[in-house]
Amino acid sequence: MINNTLRFGLIFILLILFQVLLFNNIQFSGYVNPYVYIMFILLLPIELPAWLLLILSFITGLIIDFFSGSLGMHTASSVLAGFVRPYVLQILSPRDGYEPGSEPSIIIYGFRWFLIYTIIIVLIHHTALFFLEVFRFTEFFRTLLRVLLSSLFSVTFILFIDYFRKGR
Amino acid sequence: MRNLINFLLKYISLIIFLILEGIAFYLLGTGNSYHNSRIIKGVRGLTTGIERKASTVKTYFILREINQTLASENIYLRNRIEQLEKKENQLFFYVSDSVNQQQYNYLSAEVIGNSVNRQKNYFTLSKGEKHGLMVDMAVTSGDAVAGVIVGCSENFSVAMSLLNLDFRLSARIKSNGYFGSLTWDGRDYNHAILSEIPQHIIINLGDTVETTGFSAIFPEGIMVGTISGFEKTGSDFYKITISLSTDFKKLHFVNVIGNLKKTEQLELVKQFQ
Repeated sequence: MINNTLRFGLIFILLILFQVLLFNNIQFSGYVNPYVYIMFILLLPIELPAWLLLILSFITGLIIDFFSGSLGMHTASSVLAGFVRPYVLQILSPRDGYEPGSEPSIIIYGFRWFLIYTIIIVLIHHTALFFLEVFRFTEFFRTLLRVLLSSLFSVTFILFIDYFRKGR
Repeated sequence: MRNLINFLLKYISLIIFLILEGIAFYLLGTGNSYHNSRIIKGVRGLTTGIERKASTVKTYFILREINQTLASENIYLRNRIEQLEKKENQLFFYVSDSVNQQQYNYLSAEVIGNSVNRQKNYFTLSKGEKHGLMVDMAVTSGDAVAGVIVGCSENFSVAMSLLNLDFRLSARIKSNGYFGSLTWDGRDYNHAILSEIPQHIIINLGDTVETTGFSAIFPEGIMVGTISGFEKTGSDFYKITISLSTDFKKLHFVNVIGNLKKTEQLELVKQFQ
């Protein structure tokens, strides 16, 4: 248990640093802003109680907000992502249920499962985030395009990071 | 009572979700255009520490470019001195009245945090109230517009970048003097939009666009960019695309300009409104 806490603490810090120092500085053409810190919420153990998941999402969003100077935006969308995660897991549940004490991972549940899981949550998070950022519905399709393109890159980066994490 | 507790336990995650979202939206609502000046005052101290470290590393990589900019600025200033000295020599005598002549004072600062990829971009400066910076001072990079300071703490300041949907600037076309309102449309960090220029005017690609000085924040005649395209919209105005002179991705050393006579100017204007 303590081991797990330490491990997730480390993942948390690394992802925040990745996001703040690297991905916040990435930009292609104003449409693509990958947000990979959401991966922390994706990786938490499946059996984690919902309330703890929500509070961890809240803290994650808040810290990213402090670094980006965009108070509330990331917090609101991370909490939303944390809230829908149990439902997404329920929908995607394998025929014989989840293994006790496991985490969402490619090794246990397969690449296809992990990809769908990641895409759904990243899309929900990014939609909330980008619409909160512009805070208006004029130019709806432009914002939607930003959501889709950024999600594409976020998912790619998340799978990429996960690959290296496993290779370690 | 037991029913109530059961009810609460059943919906505990929904309740926590709503509470946390409530807090988030409260932060979003109270903060929106203001959060960078208020909350940051307290919290930024922590994060700026890290950003500053990252910035010192970055500085090493762009020293060559910084030198070039400084050199070109030196040349520009030397030329200025030359021109001014010539003018003054033509007078029989001149009075050096530095108190009344000077309207703007200039300070230099370093950018230690910056973004160009959001819809509302801000950048952080390494100087604050202690060094004489104040809210509503203009920020220029070289001799082109970069932003306006929106919040100061003792050692740091946060400026709203031109690349911010909330940024408004009064700008004019240098060749004919017609002025309009400059905004950023959130698309591309190299381009901004100049609107409210009537359609009967002839516009040439490549014309210079500069500030007007109406707002008492920016001095008159500061470079904004050049016209890179225009189209007629349904109304009677042009929508002019400006290619910005400032490269916001490379923003590093900036000048902060304070208007010493701002209060005087604004109070006078106020009397007639």
